[in-house]
Amino acid sequence: MEIERPDGRSPNQLRPLACSRSILHRAHGSATWSQGDTKVVAAVYGPKAGTRKNENPEKASFEVVWKPKTGQIGKAEREYEMILKRTLESICIRSIYPNTTTSVIVQVVHDDGALLPCAINAACAALVDAGIPLRHLAVAICCSVADNGYIFLDPNKQEEEKMKAFSYLVFPNLNVSALPERSSQKGGEPTAHGIITSVTHGAMSVDDYLHCLERGRAVSARLSEFLRKNIEPKSSSESSKAG
Amino acid sequence: MESTQSSSSTSLVDKLVCPGDVVLDLSNLTNQTIKLGGGLYQDCDAISVMKAGKLRFSKPNKYWVESSQKRYVPHAEDSVLGIVVDSRSDNFLVDIKGPSLAFLPVLAFEGGTRRNIPKFEAGTLIYVRVVKANPGMNPELSCTDATGRAAEYGALKEGFMFECSTGLSRTLLSSPTCPVLEALGKKLSFEIAVGLNGRVWVNSASPSTTIIVSNAIMNSESLSGAQQRIMVEKLLQRIQ
Repeated sequence: MEIERPDGRSPNQLRPLACSRSILHRAHGSATWSQGDTKVVAAVYGPKAGTRKNENPEKASFEVVWKPKTGQIGKAEREYEMILKRTLESICIRSIYPNTTTSVIVQVVHDDGALLPCAINAACAALVDAGIPLRHLAVAICCSVADNGYIFLDPNKQEEEKMKAFSYLVFPNLNVSALPERSSQKGGEPTAHGIITSVTHGAMSVDDYLHCLERGRAVSARLSEFLRKNIEPKSSSESSKAG
Repeated sequence: MESTQSSSSTSLVDKLVCPGDVVLDLSNLTNQTIKLGGGLYQDCDAISVMKAGKLRFSKPNKYWVESSQKRYVPHAEDSVLGIVVDSRSDNFLVDIKGPSLAFLPVLAFEGGTRRNIPKFEAGTLIYVRVVKANPGMNPELSCTDATGRAAEYGALKEGFMFECSTGLSRTLLSSPTCPVLEALGKKLSFEIAVGLNGRVWVNSASPSTTIIVSNAIMNSESLSGAQQRIMVEKLLQRIQ
C-alpha cells in the first residue's frame, strides 16, 4: 500500500500548514493560509449596505472576487468563485444582517496544488477575523485518486498532473461542547460529520469516492484543530497588527 | 438549578471559543432565564457561539462573547462618534461605521423644535446615542440622553479623531479607568470622547499633547496594564 510520493510524504500526510490573521490594515478581516507552497490571501470587507440584483434582500449576501496570480480570470476561476460563495453562504448565519453584502477577495499568491481547499480555509479564517456571524467553521481538504486507485491527500502540482480524479471536500469543524451528555450524543449521531461542499473532477468509482470521504474526514479533525489554535492567540495577532 | 447551570458552563467561561461551539444546554435549565449578549445565538435547545472571542459570564445570568473587530454593528443605547454625511429636511445622515448610514432626526436635540434646528455641515463629528437598531433598517440616533437632556452629546469641535478596533474602545470605556488613560491623566490634561464604534476623539490645549495622547492610546491595544504604564512613562519622559 505504501507508495512513494515525490516529496516523501505518506498518502495521508498533509503539507505543513501556516496561517496568520489580521495582516491587511484596511480590510475588516484578513488571513493568509498556506499548505506547503500553495499560499492564498483572503480579505473580507463588510457587511456593506444593500444587496446586488438577483440576491435575496432578506438575507445577507456574499460576493467573492478571485484574483489569480497572473493574467485574467477564466472559466475555472469563475467556478471557484461560485463554489466559494456557496460554501461561505452555507456556514454563515445570513438572517442576522439582512440586506447587506460582504465582499471576500481571494488573492492567489502561489499555486502548488490543492488551491481551492486552501482558498476556502483562508476565506473561513478571514471571516472569523472580520467577526461575521458563523454557524460553524469549515475545513477543506483535497483528495486525489491515482490511476491504480490509491488515494492521496493534499497533492501538490506535480502530483496533481498524474492523478485521474480529485475531490474537494469541505467539512464542518469539530466543536467544543460544554455539555458531557451532548458530546456523547454527538458520538451516536454524527452532527459534526456532515459535509458542506463536495466537488469532484475527473472520473472515479463510488467506492473511491466513499474512501475519499472517509480519509478526508479523518484528517479534517487535524485541520480544524489547527484552525482553532490559530484563532486562539488573538492577542499576539493583534500585536503584530498594532506594531 | 443554579448549581447545575454553573457547573455545566464554567468549563468554557473566560476561555476562547470558536463559532459552532455549544456553551449551554437549555434543557438543563428549567426555571431560569438567561440573557445572551453579542456573539451567541440560540439554536433549539443549545446556545451556540457565532464569533470567535472570549466567553464572558456576569452574575446572575448574562453571557456574551467578547471580541474585537474593525467593523461596528449598531446596538441600541450605545454611545458612538458619528460623522455627518448629509442633511435632509427631517434627518441628518450620519456615518457610524455600521453597514448602513444612521438617521439623526433634526428634532432629537434638547428642546429641539422646527425653529432651532442645528446646522451641521457634512464632515462634522458628533457624539450621539443609538436609539433604534433593527436589522434591515437604518439605525436611529439621538443627541439627548434617555431623559431628554443634552448631557455630553452634540458636536465635537476642534480636536483630533482617530479610528481603532471596537475592542480597544470598549477597554477605554471600562471601569476602573483603563491604565493608559489613568497614566496619561496624571501628567497631562486633555478631553476625550470614546465611541463604542471604534472612534476616539481627543482634544487638549496644545496639538502636541493631543498627538501624544492619541499615539499612546493607539499603541496600548496589545499591551497589558503594566506595559501600558511603562509605555506612557517613556513617552512623557521623551517630551520633558
